[in-house]
Amino acid sequence: MIPAVEFVGTGKVYRTGFFMRRIEALRDLTLRVEPGEIFGFIGPNGAGKTTTIKILAGLHESTSGEARIFGVDHRDPKARSRMGFLPERPYFYLHLTAREVLRFYGQLSLVPDDVIARRTGELLERVELSRFADVPLRKYSKGMLQRVGLCQALLHDPDLVVLDEPMSGLDPMGRALVSSLIREEQEAGRTVFFSSHILHDVETLCDRVAIIIGGQLRALGAVEALVAEHGNLEEAFLSEVDRSTPVDPKTLGVMA
Amino acid sequence: MKQLTSLALHTFQEAVRDRILYSILVFALVLVVGSLAAEQITIGDQAKVVRSFAQSSIDIFASLIAMFLGVSLVYKELDSRTAYTILSRPLPRSRFVLGKYLGLVLTLGVQVAIMVVVYTVVMTLSQGLPPGVVYLSFGLLMLELMLLTAWATLFSCYSGPTTASFFTLAIFTIGHLADDIWTFGSAAESEVVQQTARALYWCLPNFEFFSIRTQAVHGVPVGLDRVIEVMAYGAGYTTVVLAAAVLVFQRRDLK
Repeated sequence: MIPAVEFVGTGKVYRTGFFMRRIEALRDLTLRVEPGEIFGFIGPNGAGKTTTIKILAGLHESTSGEARIFGVDHRDPKARSRMGFLPERPYFYLHLTAREVLRFYGQLSLVPDDVIARRTGELLERVELSRFADVPLRKYSKGMLQRVGLCQALLHDPDLVVLDEPMSGLDPMGRALVSSLIREEQEAGRTVFFSSHILHDVETLCDRVAIIIGGQLRALGAVEALVAEHGNLEEAFLSEVDRSTPVDPKTLGVMA
Repeated sequence: MKQLTSLALHTFQEAVRDRILYSILVFALVLVVGSLAAEQITIGDQAKVVRSFAQSSIDIFASLIAMFLGVSLVYKELDSRTAYTILSRPLPRSRFVLGKYLGLVLTLGVQVAIMVVVYTVVMTLSQGLPPGVVYLSFGLLMLELMLLTAWATLFSCYSGPTTASFFTLAIFTIGHLADDIWTFGSAAESEVVQQTARALYWCLPNFEFFSIRTQAVHGVPVGLDRVIEVMAYGAGYTTVVLAAAVLVFQRRDLK
């Protein structure tokens, strides 16, 4: 079966400053995410999570190795036709309403107009924003914008949903909503790949998890197995952090 | 096509929301109407002086609008991070740049059209309907603006608005002095200077090549061969600059 996401020896090096100093944000990442699973991607700040996700989203290009979405190279825009993406803090044209912004994203994803209208109604209802569908986004709270972000990620009915810190800045009700959406996506046969600092959410939602530290993959496995070994995911994570070699912030993992 | 149209229309909507744009437009319109005042302080062929003043106002302010909007065209999307959710779609970056560019050209087209309508009304009331060559000159001005905007888009693809403004202004200025570069090179004794000046002349844009203002002011018709020449030059050069913009943007990581 073709994996939903596949990294093979993927690396990312940035060049920065006047002297083009080399910063290695990601080193030799190899992992597969199988279709239909909820996959958690965790690590401390600056570990390379966002860099990895940006490679998937087509915002960054890897400098070594390969990255594929359903077998299609991440550099090919077609790879993202089956992917929905929610950035850590989604930004939109704030003068548009939720309905208008979803129409815009639907058109960019080449979704027929009648499908956009139907999906917009369904999704706004699902995230409890129907009443605000025609209100400009500048009047929305941060949590409401995050929910619009989820709608745009799901609008074109993608087979893979990539979420970067989807719970960030949400209140408990918002987090519960996102959690139930992630489960619903899996029940519908879709793959969810998400990063989070909230380990409790990762533990309760994910089938498998990868721990990345200093741009390198440190652990990969079923959540159940990690929990059985360490008691809970937080302990597993902390023990990996303790075991990892201190990273030189001048050369590694500060750009994620 | 749907992606391109959608991006262009949104760029247009974004651009027309900018209040500074209206300030520039209003100022230009005031000058077009105010060109009538030139009649009172001119000796000689007053009608031509008025036409020349009004046309120059449109040329200068349309170029200002093109530069003002163009330099932040791509940067604004990156700075506000709206590009994240746009470029994570199955959208080639080339189409993103082209969509933004076409949106800007549409905005410029509307702005120039408004100025031309006001110009026509003012001229018709004061001295009768302007000759057709005047409208041809506005058409060629649009081609010039499309090339200028392509340069601004290229600079916007890799730098912030301040740097992009500086470079675009430099290109705009040099582009209007291109003939002088040729003259300077021809007059130089050194072979190296001659070759350098010629190379610069052929590489840099020649914005004066688009101008038929003198013929427009005097109502002298312009041959079709000249128009075709200018159109081919504008289309070819604009395509090359846009291709460079796409190449630059394709290699760029979004911070």
